[in-house]
Amino acid sequence: MTAVLGVSAHYHDAAAALVVDGRIVAAQHEERLSRIKNDASLPRRAIGAVLRLGGIDAAALDAVVFYENPYAKLERVLVGALRAFPGALGQFPRALGSQLGGKVWVVDALADLLDIPRAKVELVRHHQSHAASAFYCSPFGRAAVMVVDAVGEDACTSIWHAGEQGLRELTRIDYPHSLGLFYAALTAYLGFEVNDGEYKVMGLAAYGAPTRRDAMAKLLRVAPDGSYELGLDYFDRFTRTELGYGKRLVDLLGAARSPYERWDLTGARDRAYADIARSAQDALEEALVAIAREARKRTDEDALCLAGGVALNAVANRRIAREAGFTRVFVQPAAGDAGGALGAAILGAMARGAARPALLMGADLGVTVAGAPVATYARALGLVASHLEDVPSAVADALEAREVIAWAHGRCEWGPRALGFRSILARADDAEVRERLNRAVKKREPFRPFAPAVLETDAATWFAGGANAMTPFMTTVADVLRPEALPAVTHVDGTARVQTVQPESGLGQVLSAVKQRGATPVVLNTSLNGPGEPMVATATDALSFFVRHGVDKMIIDDVMLTRPE
Amino acid sequence: MSLRGALARLTSLVVWRSLKHTAAKLHGFALAEQGSAIDLSMAAQLAADPERAASYLQHAMDESRHAMMFQRRAGELAVKRGMPSYGAPRADVDHLYGMLGEIDFLAFVHRGERRARTQFEVYARYFETHDDAKTASVFARVLEDERRHEQYTYEVLVRLSGSEAAARRALRRSARWELRRTWLRHGRALSSRVFTLGMWLLYLVIAPFALIMRARAPRASGWR
Repeated sequence: MTAVLGVSAHYHDAAAALVVDGRIVAAQHEERLSRIKNDASLPRRAIGAVLRLGGIDAAALDAVVFYENPYAKLERVLVGALRAFPGALGQFPRALGSQLGGKVWVVDALADLLDIPRAKVELVRHHQSHAASAFYCSPFGRAAVMVVDAVGEDACTSIWHAGEQGLRELTRIDYPHSLGLFYAALTAYLGFEVNDGEYKVMGLAAYGAPTRRDAMAKLLRVAPDGSYELGLDYFDRFTRTELGYGKRLVDLLGAARSPYERWDLTGARDRAYADIARSAQDALEEALVAIAREARKRTDEDALCLAGGVALNAVANRRIAREAGFTRVFVQPAAGDAGGALGAAILGAMARGAARPALLMGADLGVTVAGAPVATYARALGLVASHLEDVPSAVADALEAREVIAWAHGRCEWGPRALGFRSILARADDAEVRERLNRAVKKREPFRPFAPAVLETDAATWFAGGANAMTPFMTTVADVLRPEALPAVTHVDGTARVQTVQPESGLGQVLSAVKQRGATPVVLNTSLNGPGEPMVATATDALSFFVRHGVDKMIIDDVMLTRPE
Repeated sequence: MSLRGALARLTSLVVWRSLKHTAAKLHGFALAEQGSAIDLSMAAQLAADPERAASYLQHAMDESRHAMMFQRRAGELAVKRGMPSYGAPRADVDHLYGMLGEIDFLAFVHRGERRARTQFEVYARYFETHDDAKTASVFARVLEDERRHEQYTYEVLVRLSGSEAAARRALRRSARWELRRTWLRHGRALSSRVFTLGMWLLYLVIAPFALIMRARAPRASGWR
């Protein structure tokens, strides 16, 4: 038996993944267990959870692989601070404190935590972890792999060639020229939280026009060979690290938007910010398409795997799939840093002779929700609990009655998207439900769309192009063929971030039941969490969610909860 | 009135001296309540007894509601002062249940509830007499729960400890632990300042290397 644990931590979204004999046994985000959104700390709980799920004792692990090299990262931080002399004076103590106060000791920390010899803890490179997580979970035997994120050790963008011989890095662009940092700076400028609000910029962009292309050309210059350069004078990485942009960017684009004001897209002011979002999104997409074309040219492959935080930009992924010359594109559900844990585990396992993992069919790799104690808790909380014989029918009944229903069953999702295991479901053909969901639970900005789920076999009826390698994990968008029929899930630009579902899955059975009732066989599927909270993982999280938020019903495993009359 | 209550009364004028300070203080309470909510949620997951787990869960939900109440009022006052509002509270969390065990965790929570109840009684009266009925009402509504929390945590503590005397011992242990934690926190804050000073000096000392770095390894862009 070969058992390898992969770990990512210390920047954002820590996670652990376990691969046993070449099989992905479990993968878990720390935030879901610690209940701290984007928890970056060493993932003690996630490690414990994946080991329990795999039935493996830490002593039985062949290796623990950390997803990046902290020493190389320390060197980059030091060199960067020296290059910026004297501009980094204010930031230097904090940057060094954070490195020396924990990050560089990660090998010892993992060895201590698991009580294993230090020699069992290995390091791989950040982009190598990302590339492995994308390629080895993909359906492709050979592929080009493109990794784009904020920064790893040095690399911010890299192109790899993957096949039977393994992964080979072909070329890369190093820090500080980073598309991730470009988009993060614009995210902060627009008043959203970095590493959390990037998808809000993507949603907002659909409301704007690309009127600030000239300004973006100063921030990001793309060469014909797909390489790019940031206008570094506009970014401020040392004195305003939380924001990433500097005074010159404000001079160029105007005053930054306050994070605390309500959005009003009927007003000229917020429409101007939407134009900036659209211009930034377009600039990012054009850079990504150029890089993907270069990847195609260098590898001559037909298939592309994408990884890194920027690969979570579903709108850009569609454009890459359409314009870069590849016939198939795949994005692993946890494309961000958390996914590095999975890539690290796979690399460690394959280095020990394990076979390549089977195609990733589902994202339900985390902890299991158990319905057994729910009734006891529910009684104490004054809720009504009833046991269900046929859960999919009960969900379909609730949807037929135009209810908003929360559903937690099976193992929780790997990656930031709710894919039917920790989901809030509602009718996609009911425009009012979207407002109700926003009012009662999500409290989202008005420009953020909700996503649809549809049976894979029905996808082409409702969404242009039907299913592809990205749709099972909601990592791309598609044009809605009949927007008037799906008002709750159609974005202002006529697209939706569609999820295609296999009929035998829990959500697939619900969709089949909905279809049998003659209703529109598409449901609104959004994550089971409130604003600022991590997604629900356990039964107690789900109970707590139900009591605090205004959904009509909650189903935990096979127990349905309602409020007393 | 207890010593803590008297202190709260004495310091009220300073603590609530301006809209800005009031908003910041209420935001601080929101963070504390949110942190407590997460700690109690974790306790609910770890507690062996389902009835106690349900109590912790209910308590966590109360704390979460308090956090939102404080946060909303802090935001209103901030906006009134022309400052930006506050977003959702993001608290630091200690995960104390796992660290302390159930009895000491309960003792810690009980002490926190008692402290909050004493302070909030004073603050509710303060705002009633200073023509801020809205803030007074936030404290009054939170107080109702805090009294209940103080009561039930003590009852469970006695039950789990085995006797009133054992519960009092747990409370004393918790007081000592809190004192030590405060000492360590202050120590950390001090050492962090010393470290910052040291790093600033180091940064200035290594300045010549910066020049060598720029000369020998100019920053590269494009594919490598």
